[in-house]
Amino acid sequence: MNEVPLTHILVLSTALFFIGMFGLFTRRNMITILMSVELILNSVNINFVAFNKYLFPEKLDGVFFVLFIIAIAAAEAALAIAIIINLYRNHQSIDVDDATEMKF
Amino acid sequence: MIALLLVLLPLITGVATFFLRKENAAKKLALLSSLATMVISILGLTLFNKTELLQFSADWLPGLGTKFDIRLDGMGQLLCLLTAISFPLIFISTWQRTYKNAHNFFALMLLAQAGLMGVFLAMDALVFYFFWELALIPVYFLCSMWGGEKRIAATFKFFIYTFAGSVLMLVALIYLQTQTVDHSFSINSFYQLEIKNDIQNWLFVLMFIAFAIKMPLFPFHTWQPDLYEQSPTSTTMVLSGIMVKMGLFGVIRWLLPTLPSASFAYGETTVAVLAVIGMLYASLLAMRQNDMKRLIAYSSIAHIGLMVIAIFAETQLAMQGVMIQLFSHGINIIGLWIIVEWIERKYGTTKFSELGGLAQKAPVMSILFVVIALANISLPLTNGFVGEFLMFSGIFTSKIFTYQIVITAAAGVCIILSAVYMLRMVQKIIYGNTSAITANATDIGFNEKFALSIIALLILAVGLFPQPILDLTQTTATQILNEANILHLLKK
Amino acid sequence: MNALIVTAVLGVMMMFSSIVLKRNSAIRMLAIVGLLFTFIANVLDSSGVHFFSINIKGMMHFDQFAYFFISISIFCTFIFFLLSAKEMERIGVNYSEYFALIFFILCGIILVASFTSLLILFLGIEIISIPLYILTGSDKKNLKSNEASLKYFLLGAFSTGIMLMGIALFYGSTGSFSVENSVVIAATTSPMLLIGILLLLFSMSFKVSAAPFHFWAPDVYDGAPTVFTSFMATIVKAAAFIAFIRLFSLAFTPLQDRWQLIVAVIIALTLFVGNITAVFQQSVKRMLAYSSIAQSGFMLMALLAFNTFSVEGILLYIVAYSISTMGIFSVLVKMKDSSLEEFNGFAKHQPVLAVALTVFLLSLAGIPLTAGFLSKFYMLKAVMHSGNFLWLIIFAVLMAAVSVYYYFRIIQVMFFKESDSNTIIVSTSFKWLLSALAIIIIVLGVYPQLLLQFLV
Repeated sequence: MNEVPLTHILVLSTALFFIGMFGLFTRRNMITILMSVELILNSVNINFVAFNKYLFPEKLDGVFFVLFIIAIAAAEAALAIAIIINLYRNHQSIDVDDATEMKF
Repeated sequence: MIALLLVLLPLITGVATFFLRKENAAKKLALLSSLATMVISILGLTLFNKTELLQFSADWLPGLGTKFDIRLDGMGQLLCLLTAISFPLIFISTWQRTYKNAHNFFALMLLAQAGLMGVFLAMDALVFYFFWELALIPVYFLCSMWGGEKRIAATFKFFIYTFAGSVLMLVALIYLQTQTVDHSFSINSFYQLEIKNDIQNWLFVLMFIAFAIKMPLFPFHTWQPDLYEQSPTSTTMVLSGIMVKMGLFGVIRWLLPTLPSASFAYGETTVAVLAVIGMLYASLLAMRQNDMKRLIAYSSIAHIGLMVIAIFAETQLAMQGVMIQLFSHGINIIGLWIIVEWIERKYGTTKFSELGGLAQKAPVMSILFVVIALANISLPLTNGFVGEFLMFSGIFTSKIFTYQIVITAAAGVCIILSAVYMLRMVQKIIYGNTSAITANATDIGFNEKFALSIIALLILAVGLFPQPILDLTQTTATQILNEANILHLLKK
Repeated sequence: MNALIVTAVLGVMMMFSSIVLKRNSAIRMLAIVGLLFTFIANVLDSSGVHFFSINIKGMMHFDQFAYFFISISIFCTFIFFLLSAKEMERIGVNYSEYFALIFFILCGIILVASFTSLLILFLGIEIISIPLYILTGSDKKNLKSNEASLKYFLLGAFSTGIMLMGIALFYGSTGSFSVENSVVIAATTSPMLLIGILLLLFSMSFKVSAAPFHFWAPDVYDGAPTVFTSFMATIVKAAAFIAFIRLFSLAFTPLQDRWQLIVAVIIALTLFVGNITAVFQQSVKRMLAYSSIAQSGFMLMALLAFNTFSVEGILLYIVAYSISTMGIFSVLVKMKDSSLEEFNGFAKHQPVLAVALTVFLLSLAGIPLTAGFLSKFYMLKAVMHSGNFLWLIIFAVLMAAVSVYYYFRIIQVMFFKESDSNTIIVSTSFKWLLSALAIIIIVLGVYPQLLLQFLV
């Protein structure tokens, strides 16, 4: 069976990365924004694993890094949900456009 | 030792004065300290005039290539003497004026003195920059705390102007330091620099802007009349008598010898043209003024213009003339301000239109006023004449200028104009009929008499026997011209 | 290593301390004593007394610079506790947890000051950021605080994503996370590495709030409770700088000519945006936020020119900037709101504080005789020494002249305006402390060797 080449995987991860970026800047719903952030982190994870597997298979550096990212991402998600809930209590909405207390 | 004392004494007494709560005590301490400084300065000229006593050097920030190096040379002696004489005169003549929070006022005055002394003494570029800024901060607070109605805006303008100029100078100094052989800020290393002409040119611009703002040279002068009008008079005396000399001093000591070819290149073209324009412009404006303060401010700009040209003429005569004039102009203008201060305190106005006929009411003041005004016009027998005559002949014989006749003629016109506006002021104020305000005038008190007599004495002394000052400044002038001239000789 | 483990343990201890200690003053005392202990542990560590022996597999390296910086940040945190710890009571009920979070942040600071592996850098940055998100939003009822926390989180997560992508590309082209010149030299030609470095550059610029990646900073600094803004804008920011400089000076010097110009442009933009916008601010807090952006422009110069001057200079800069900014914030915290009018006639009511604040402001503006001048001087000299970027130096000093405008506005209202309302009440010890800090600033401005001699 033919192996999937590295470039395919990189294209996938790059696509995910930019989809995440796009979502982060265009979406107005905070939960969706949070999901976009997760998407970015996961695209990086794919990159790490792919690089490790294809280019440097002798050590597991990349895979370990992924574990750390997953842990941190979980912490960040928990925190984000807390912030969003707090905001919802004050605003009765989770639309970022409602949070406009400060202007330049 | 003398050099160190000249800086430390006002600094320490200045800091101490902050903690004196009684107005009288602060006043007395300030006067005492300034008198002591004067004594030290005079001792340095006479009794202890030995090289090892006149310098002080200590390690400071060796990693940056700087040393705390201060020394009194001829020009430094002269300007330190000016500073040392001025402060007691200022304190004595304004003795009667009361200030809110007087201890702060006198403390800041003493700190300003320390800063000025440091500028004139510094033989290391970074130390020079330090003191250059340090002299500014107390003056900023003095003017905006105790000045007139529009003081805050006027002072702020002045401060931003000078600060912007001096940071540009800082860039040039740092650049020069990286070019020196031993990576040091010492003045000797600076003098040994040989920098390419095109680089010299923009370094010159950076440094000259700082000095030009301080002098002030047209078109950087706009802060000056406002500030002189708004600040408390004793601060104005410091500003116009001593502080503007910092700019000229900086050009002589730090600019001309360090960047000789650029000074040559810009000397006649840009600088002299600006100075001539400034002189004529200021003289004409001075003729139109109706206020003593503004008139004196503009007359000061005109005088400074002539000194700038004389510096860049780069002849021995002109250089010595400038040094004498630095001293004389300082003394004369402080004398004028003392009179202005007295008139303002007595009558609450300095407008010609509201004054007049003081000759009958205040004869002593009038005589002294005329003497000082004549010195400012530089009539023979006064100190102004010695300096201006030397400068004129120096400019006229300058080998650097190609249009020295035009420049001398323009300067001559300015002298005539200065006679016109000074005499107009004298005439309006002390002759004519008394106005409603001056009808019940009395003569000046003992303090003013004392201060003004000393100034008049100095005016006549320097005017009649200029030789000691000429001897004092000769070596410095020669040395600076030697440093500045090397490249010219190579060129020809 | 000592300080790292001590701070982590102290963080956990502080978290549970409220169970045992019922009084806030006791909690505060515990935190201060703990911090002192950390300081001692770190000093002992640097002189060779290690409490723990752990094989860190070359992922971290404690050199003299790292020890010194850690000491500085612990010292600054100590000052922060003394100045403002009491004010934290007003924010919310979870008093002990704020201390715990600050200890965790310190833990992250120690990581980023000593990393040699990108993994540790990432962990350090995250350990700093996550508690900061919480501290920013800690004023739960305040809409501004909520919003600031949200913005901070979103942009922080975004920059973390960029940074991770940069690390991934770095890993892809070199096969290692270790930041060493040799690793980079082996792969200089790889375009992937260049993109990776660029992404790292951008994300680190985010963290230090350099323009054009600064836009989160004013809102976050403005919205966060003032006490925490003061911590965030000084110690945390300094740590981000150290990480930035460490990363680029350790690893990326072989590619210097590729990224130097970008950094120079970033510096120029940062100085411009920070200073010009600060001029127009009416609120002192927001003005300080922009001023902190402007100051980071100067600090970034240490990155542009990496030599002995910049190493000494950045440490001096951090101390001068942190002390001055914390000093001003500590007074600001005590005021009703942070408008400029609050300072009217301040010199009359609180002469001692006004003089101390003046010293801080002069230091920030870079007037000689204060540490602020010398640190700016070191930076300029470092760049001048590297020989290029003269335009940047001239631009920077002109911007410094602009900064005088807004710093002196505060001095003006303090000394030359009148006001009837008595503004704040402070304790005598606070006055003494602030005066002592002002004296430190002046002493360091005259004789910086007192500080820099430890860096040998």
